[in-house]
Amino acid sequence: MTRMNRRTLISASAVLAVAALTATSLPAQAAEVGVSSTSITLGMTLPMTGTASPGYNKIPGAMKAYFDYLNANGGVNGRSINLKVEDDQYVPTQAVAKTNKLILQDKVMALLAPLGTANNKAVAASVNPARRGVPVLFVNTGFSGFADTKKYPTTYAILPSYVMEAKIMAEYIKDNFAGKTLGLVYQDDDFGTDALKGFTQAGVTFAAKVAYASGSQSATTAAGWVSKLSAAKCDVVILFGVSSATAAGLGTAAALKYAPQWILGSVGGDATTIKAAGVPAGVLYNAVGASFAPATTDATDEYVKLFSDIYAKAVPGSAFDNNVLIGMNTAFVAAQALKAAGTNPTRASLLAAIDSKGSTFASAALLPLNYSKTSHVGYNGYWFGKYSPTGDLKPVDGKYVLYTTDSGSGAVVKSTWTRPAMPAKGLPQ
Amino acid sequence: MRISSTKSRFLAVLSSAALVATVVIATPAHAAAVGPICDGKTPVNTCVGTTEDGAAYEIRVPSNFNGTVALWSHGLGVSWAVPAGLLPPFPSGIPVDPRANVTPYTVVDSTSSALASSILADGVAVMGSGFSVQGWNLDEAVKTNVELIGIFKKAFPTTKKVVAWGYSAGGGITQALAEQHPELVDAVAIIDPVAPVQANQKLLMDALWLFKTYFDPTMKLTGYSAGKAGDMEATADIGKMYSILASIGANISTGAWPTTAGPAGKALEAAGVPSRSAMLMCALLVGMPVQSASYDNISGPDGALKLTFPLAVSPALASLENFGVALTAGLSMAREWDAKFGANWYDNTKTNYAAQLSETDQVVYNAALSGNTVIGALLSVLNPANPAAPRLVGDAAAVAKASKLYATTGKITVPTIMMTGVNDPVPAASWIQQVSDKYQVQFASEKAAAITAAKSSRSYVAPKNKLGVVWLKPPASWTKFDAAGTPIAQSYVAGNGHALFTQSQFKFMIDAAIKAANSGSVATTGTFVSKARKAGMVRDKFSSYQYLKFYN
Repeated sequence: MTRMNRRTLISASAVLAVAALTATSLPAQAAEVGVSSTSITLGMTLPMTGTASPGYNKIPGAMKAYFDYLNANGGVNGRSINLKVEDDQYVPTQAVAKTNKLILQDKVMALLAPLGTANNKAVAASVNPARRGVPVLFVNTGFSGFADTKKYPTTYAILPSYVMEAKIMAEYIKDNFAGKTLGLVYQDDDFGTDALKGFTQAGVTFAAKVAYASGSQSATTAAGWVSKLSAAKCDVVILFGVSSATAAGLGTAAALKYAPQWILGSVGGDATTIKAAGVPAGVLYNAVGASFAPATTDATDEYVKLFSDIYAKAVPGSAFDNNVLIGMNTAFVAAQALKAAGTNPTRASLLAAIDSKGSTFASAALLPLNYSKTSHVGYNGYWFGKYSPTGDLKPVDGKYVLYTTDSGSGAVVKSTWTRPAMPAKGLPQ
Repeated sequence: MRISSTKSRFLAVLSSAALVATVVIATPAHAAAVGPICDGKTPVNTCVGTTEDGAAYEIRVPSNFNGTVALWSHGLGVSWAVPAGLLPPFPSGIPVDPRANVTPYTVVDSTSSALASSILADGVAVMGSGFSVQGWNLDEAVKTNVELIGIFKKAFPTTKKVVAWGYSAGGGITQALAEQHPELVDAVAIIDPVAPVQANQKLLMDALWLFKTYFDPTMKLTGYSAGKAGDMEATADIGKMYSILASIGANISTGAWPTTAGPAGKALEAAGVPSRSAMLMCALLVGMPVQSASYDNISGPDGALKLTFPLAVSPALASLENFGVALTAGLSMAREWDAKFGANWYDNTKTNYAAQLSETDQVVYNAALSGNTVIGALLSVLNPANPAAPRLVGDAAAVAKASKLYATTGKITVPTIMMTGVNDPVPAASWIQQVSDKYQVQFASEKAAAITAAKSSRSYVAPKNKLGVVWLKPPASWTKFDAAGTPIAQSYVAGNGHALFTQSQFKFMIDAAIKAANSGSVATTGTFVSKARKAGMVRDKFSSYQYLKFYN
């Protein structure tokens, strides 16, 4: 037996005492909030009703379709995924109330794809998921600020930022519309500020810039835009706004026989929303648009094929559009993150898993995810195409040409990244 | 859609909310202490008297007195009387009222006496004074309370525990009492407290200056005449404020500006800036809540304005309603401080208002502020170099005097329970959040020190938690509309307005404080949470209300 002198004994006792203190001061290890032995509960807020809901309100159905498919195939480490959806009507204060409900009452493990820049900012300030340690997975907004890991440490972007989009759009214009007179319509808030930042970074000069306050878009205000744009003799007009602004702008321009080459931001080119506004999707015809995912009509794409099959069975009769594809893809990425979080996932292990393995997650996108311990940036590029008469975006000549960049001063380059093959059955491996 | 715009309807909301927040107190002539003179009745022995500084007080002691007394400090009262017949919201004026309060003056679903009875029934005595000085009176009121505690203990020597509680300015008084004399109180309950004096007064004066700059440069705010003439000038300022609020409310859809707007406002109007956006900007720049009793910023009337109303209109209407509640007291104190310090104590020459608009507010309320271009215009006219927005230069001597008033520090010295409605326009949530965050650091430090001490003593003595915070939150949504889509004014919705609580909520607070007094700590789990919830309140240890704009 080892002889223990008095000093050693005291030291050892002190260590034990402190260890005991530490042990007693720590709460008993409890199962993570939102995680049971059989399920994991996630929550999302987005507009399900009201004027901002068309198009977006298909996302929960798309996600649930994927999660149901996943659950039928064993779930994530034996747990099924349960998605709770709250309608925020696109009102920030409502998003705060509904997020509080999801976290405090419904006790979700994480938030998934909450939609809208203002809504997410309001939630970050008032509910403060970061302080609560609640993961905010894959916010459905391209505002570049949400990738700021210091300000939003538990939040992950997934969409390319609006700054990236504007920079890439500028490059596309340089390649395809050099020498043309340019016009810009943008939303006079953070959404537009991000776009302006990108265009400024790229050195684009506009003959006319029209800002509209969020919510002010209508046929009447759009007539004012057209007046300014036509007075400046713009040949090419970028409409960097929401879909209701696209509907107002393109619908009014068509009525006034003003027909520049339209280039639409990725947010505003949704045919479903435009049709819901009473404007035929045909106004989109020949407009240029951008996407980071394969065209929803691309039957050769393995993800499009699988997801559209799953969706058709889950929601018969509902068109497989970009909102559906992005929704299902986001659910697929979330499932991989939960799988990577371990057999007994916690909020902390989920965050750590995305930081360490997120860049390797499979996805339908034609660009990689860029997650790491220091980066919460999701996708970082776009391809351009033109809208069909039915409002479907397709790559010009059927070929995806992908541009990639960052939200800072990095150059825009053509992407050489090749998407890996889809995991077996589109399930997390 | 018609927006609720009739003056009488709008003012009814303001007056009911403002009145309940206003307890007025007389300035009795100072005299030798009198009493306590007790009636000796059962089951409650009521004693009255006057402290050495001239404050009337009242004590009620139940026959089953268990040794605990609850010392109530009421809220702010005007230091000068507003004459009758001059202000529509206050047809009888705002009289000076010298009465002592032993329990909250306002209990939304009951009466002050019913609340007192329920406390007395537990064997707890209640007491409170009318204080000797009106208006902002933390320094004087603490002295009065100290004396009153002594009077009580002398008269009732079986006293074991003293629990202090108060709301609004009384919350500040209670906090100051605990900070300055922790040896005299065993626990405190602080409800809807005012912030530290300089921050609180700057908030109110900034709000008034912004309002004056945008909407009516003839409002005085400072430099009032002496005596009754000054009272009339301040009364006129209050009247102007209500007229402007009514005008903005009546033109909420068109965005037309009050006819009283000065050069800054007229320039903005000419640029197409709606007055509602300027109204909202006033609230956001000072940190006033932009949800109110009638406007939740969530609901919209059925039809075309379902989304536009909560996004673009409701925040301005809520700001307007909250300004009506908070700035009556603000103008009352503007006149009071002008007289108290002999000159203008308020100086905003160095205030950077543009920096006070948070990035989050700019985004979240972007539509109501009418976009970044309009936001830029609204902030631009506040530039110190703009002659259309002259800053107010403080008198050095008056500024120095004002700076000597006691400012609560937020340091927790005795077991403390805090509560507020989250949309209190004072705004109390900001200050409680700061106190709560500060205490978390304090407690962590105490815990670390205890662990360090344990390493040498081999005996860990856990620090006692001394702070419990509960929040009164509003329902999921609460704006109501009539059949025509017009919002309906509401005088009370939980979580809104100033110092508006039910009997069960007040009872929870005093009960929790008494329990903390007996145990020496605040247990913030278990029955604390369940009882708070039963009273309609929540504990949220991760709350994140915005801090005060000038006290970070």
